[in-house]
Amino acid sequence: MTDTLLLLVYIIVFPGFIFLLAYALFFEFLDRKISARMQHRVGPPLFQPFADLIKMLGKEVIDPDGVDRHVFDTAPLVALAAVMTAFLYIPVTGASPLAFQGDLVVVLYLLMLPTVALFLIGWLSRNVFSAVGGIRAVTQMFIYEVPFFLALLTPALMAGSWSISDIVLWQQEHLWFMVIQPIGFVVGLIGLQAKLERTPFDIPEAETEIVAGPWTELTGRRLALMHLTSDVSLVVGSSLIAALFLGGPALPWTVSPVWLNWIAGFLLFLAKTLAVLLILSSMKVATGRIRIDQLNAIGWKYIAGAAVVQVALVLIVDYFGVAV
Amino acid sequence: MSVLLEMLENLFAKPFTILYPKEKVPVPETFRGRVTIDDRTCIGCSKCSVVCPVQCIAMVDSPAEVEFKGKILVRKKKPQVKLYQCIRCGLCERHCPTGAMYLKDELSESGTDKEVVVT
Amino acid sequence: MPEVVIPIGPQHPALKEPVNFRVIADGEKIIRLELDLSYSHRGVEKAAESRNFIRVLPLLERVCGICSHSHSTAFSKGIEEIMQLEIPPRALYIRTIIAELERMHSHMLWLGVAAHEIGFNTLFMWTWRDREVVQDTLEEMTGNRVHYGMNEIGGVRCDLTPVQVNKALSRLPNLEERVRKYVDMVNDQETMLIRFKGIGKMSREEALKFGAVGPTARASGVDIDTRRDDPYLAYQEVPWNVVTDTAGDVYGRTRVRIGELFESIKIVRYCLENLPGGQIRVNNPPKNAPEGEILSRYEAPRGELVHFIRTNGTDKVERVDIRTPTLANWTSVAMCLVNQNLADIPVIVAAIDPCLSCTSRITIVNHKNGKPGRSG
Repeated sequence: MTDTLLLLVYIIVFPGFIFLLAYALFFEFLDRKISARMQHRVGPPLFQPFADLIKMLGKEVIDPDGVDRHVFDTAPLVALAAVMTAFLYIPVTGASPLAFQGDLVVVLYLLMLPTVALFLIGWLSRNVFSAVGGIRAVTQMFIYEVPFFLALLTPALMAGSWSISDIVLWQQEHLWFMVIQPIGFVVGLIGLQAKLERTPFDIPEAETEIVAGPWTELTGRRLALMHLTSDVSLVVGSSLIAALFLGGPALPWTVSPVWLNWIAGFLLFLAKTLAVLLILSSMKVATGRIRIDQLNAIGWKYIAGAAVVQVALVLIVDYFGVAV
Repeated sequence: MSVLLEMLENLFAKPFTILYPKEKVPVPETFRGRVTIDDRTCIGCSKCSVVCPVQCIAMVDSPAEVEFKGKILVRKKKPQVKLYQCIRCGLCERHCPTGAMYLKDELSESGTDKEVVVT
Repeated sequence: MPEVVIPIGPQHPALKEPVNFRVIADGEKIIRLELDLSYSHRGVEKAAESRNFIRVLPLLERVCGICSHSHSTAFSKGIEEIMQLEIPPRALYIRTIIAELERMHSHMLWLGVAAHEIGFNTLFMWTWRDREVVQDTLEEMTGNRVHYGMNEIGGVRCDLTPVQVNKALSRLPNLEERVRKYVDMVNDQETMLIRFKGIGKMSREEALKFGAVGPTARASGVDIDTRRDDPYLAYQEVPWNVVTDTAGDVYGRTRVRIGELFESIKIVRYCLENLPGGQIRVNNPPKNAPEGEILSRYEAPRGELVHFIRTNGTDKVERVDIRTPTLANWTSVAMCLVNQNLADIPVIVAAIDPCLSCTSRITIVNHKNGKPGRSG
C-alpha cells in the first residue's frame, strides 16, 4: 500500500509532474535571462514564464474557417502528455523506480511526438505559411534524428544495457561517457538543439520568413500548452544528456544514509542539467539561422558522419575487448 | 571566436539598458523639448505664428507694456501654442526677435487632451 | 508541388513597412514576383506646393526618418542654386558633418536589421547599442535624434560650440574600434557567411541595366557616387574614397556599407578638426526665388536622391518631384529574387536597405476605368 502511495507521489508530485512543470518554467527563465545578459540586455524577472503561461491560458481561442477543431484541441495535449511521460523514466534522485530494459527507446520515441503533432497542426491549418513550416519541421526531423539516435546508442552499447538507470550505474563505476566518447557528446548536443528547434535550427518557426510556421494558427490555451511542451522538452532533453553523458544523479561513491544519497543525487542532477542548459543557451546566442537545404548538406555530411565514426570506434573497442 | 569572447564579457557586465523611470536619461541642453513663452519679453510681433509649419500658434489678445531695445512698446497680442499639434521643429525659436519663445530642454510630459495650450 | 502564391505583405514580420510581394513559388524555389508599392502615400509633393520656403523644409524633412537630412539638404541646395546664393564655408562643413553622421547611423541600423533577418539577434542588439553613441552626438548638436532641422535657405539653424566638437571627437575612436570588431565578426561568423555569400548575385551589366544606385550598385563593381561625380557641400575639400566591391551579392553589399562606415568616420573627424570660422548663414536671403528649373542630386545613405524643383518667381515652389534611391532599387530586387530560395527573400529585400516611406510617391491607376489599384 505504501509502495503504491510512494509511487503515486513520485509520479505526481516529486520528481514527477508538479516538480517538472515548475522546473520547466524555471529553465525557461534561466534560458531567457542568460541569453539576454550575453546580449548586454536585462532579461525577464523570475516569474515571467509563469505569468506568460497564465496570460495565454486566458486568451481567446480563434478557429480559422474550415479547420478541424478537434485535432487542434487534442494535438497540443497529446504532445504535452508525451513529453511529461518521458520524464518519468529519467533518473532524478537515483535510479528511476519505473525503469526497465528498453526505456531509452521509449523516451526517444516519446520525445519525437511533439514534432509530429506540430506537423499535423501545420498541415491542417489552411494556411500557406503553416504548411511550409510543417514540411520544414518534418524534413528537419528526418535529418537530425539519425545522428541523434546513433549518438545516444553508443553509451548503451558500451554499458551493455538499454535502460537509462543502468547506464547511470555503469558510469558510477567507470568514467563519464563525456570523457570516453567526446564525439558522441558533441553530436548529442547538436541533435538536441535541432530537436528543440532553437537557433541555429529554428527553421520551422523562422519568424522573418514564414511568419510563425506551424505555430501561426495556434491561439489561447493551445498556444500555452504547445509552449509548455517546448519548455518541458528542454528539461527532458537536458536531463537525458546529463544522465547519458555526464553521469546523472550519482556520486562516484555511495553515501551511507539513504536520504543523504537522495539529496546528493538531486543536487547533482540540478547542477548537471544547468551545465547542459548553459551550453545550449550559448549555442543559441552565438549563431544565426541556416536554411533547410544547407542543414540537409551539413547534417548528412558532417553530423551523421561523426556519429557513424563514433559508433565504429565503440564497436572496434568492444571487439578487441579493451577494458575501460 | 570574437563573438564568443564578447558574449562571455557581457554576461558579467552591467546591462546597457537604462531602467527608466528609476534611472534618468541625461538630456543635453540643446534638446528641443517643451515650448515656453516668456511673458515679460514677448512683443507680440506674430513672427512665430507666420513661420510655424503646422500652424499651431494662434495670437490671442493680451495687452501689456514690454521693454524692447531701450524703448517701451505696447503689446496687443500674445501667442498661444497648441501643444498637441506642435512638432517641435524649433522654427519659432529661431525667428523670434527677442528670445521670448524658446524650447526648454526638458522631456515634456505626454497627455491625451487635444486642447491643451501654452501661452 | 504545384505553384503556390505566398503573400509576403502588406503585413509581414520581415518587413518594417507595408509593401506587397506576391511570390509565386514551386516548393521552396521562386518562379516569379509581382510587386505592389505605395501603400502609405501621403501627398507630400502636393502639400509642399502650398508652403513658402521657410515652412516647407520641416515638411520635406519628414519624408523619411532615417534619411531626413538628405531630403532637406537636397531641397535647400537646389533653391540656393536657383537664387544664386553663396553659402559661408562654416555652414557647408556643419551640413557635411550632420550628413555623414546620418550615414553612419543609417548603416549601423542596416547592419543590425540584416543580422535580424537571418535570426542572428545578438549582432542586432550589439550594433544598435553602438548606434546610440551616434544618436547621442546628433542630439547634442541638433537637439533631436532624428529630424534634425539643421537646414535653412542660406545656411544652418544653429552653431556648433567647441564643447560639442570636442565631445564628438572623443567618441570617434571607440566607435571605430567597435566597427572593426564587427568587420571581424562578419568575416568569421559561419552562419552569416553561408547565408550571405552567393545570395542575390547581380553582375555589373545587370546592375547598369536595372538602374541600381547606391551601395547596391557599388557592390557589383559600378563606380558611381554622387559625392564625387557631382560634388556639393564640402566633399571636394575633404580627402575620402569611394568604396566598391566586385562580389555583387549580399556579402559584397555588407562589405561596401562597412567600408563606407569607416570613410564616414574619417570625414567627420576631418571636418570637426578643420571647422572654419565665420558666419553660419547668409544675411537676409531673398524671400522669392526667380523662375527656373533645377535638378538637385544628393548621395543619401541608400543611394542617389534626386529632387526636381520648378519655381515661378513666388515664394513657393510650383512643383517638387522626389525620386528616392529605394524606388530605383526595387527592379533589381524583383529580378534577383527569381530562382532563389524562399528563405532568402528577407535577406535579399533587406540588402537594398528598403525605405518604403521614401518610396511611396507613386500610385497605380487603372487606365481603363480611371480607378486606382490593379483590379479590373
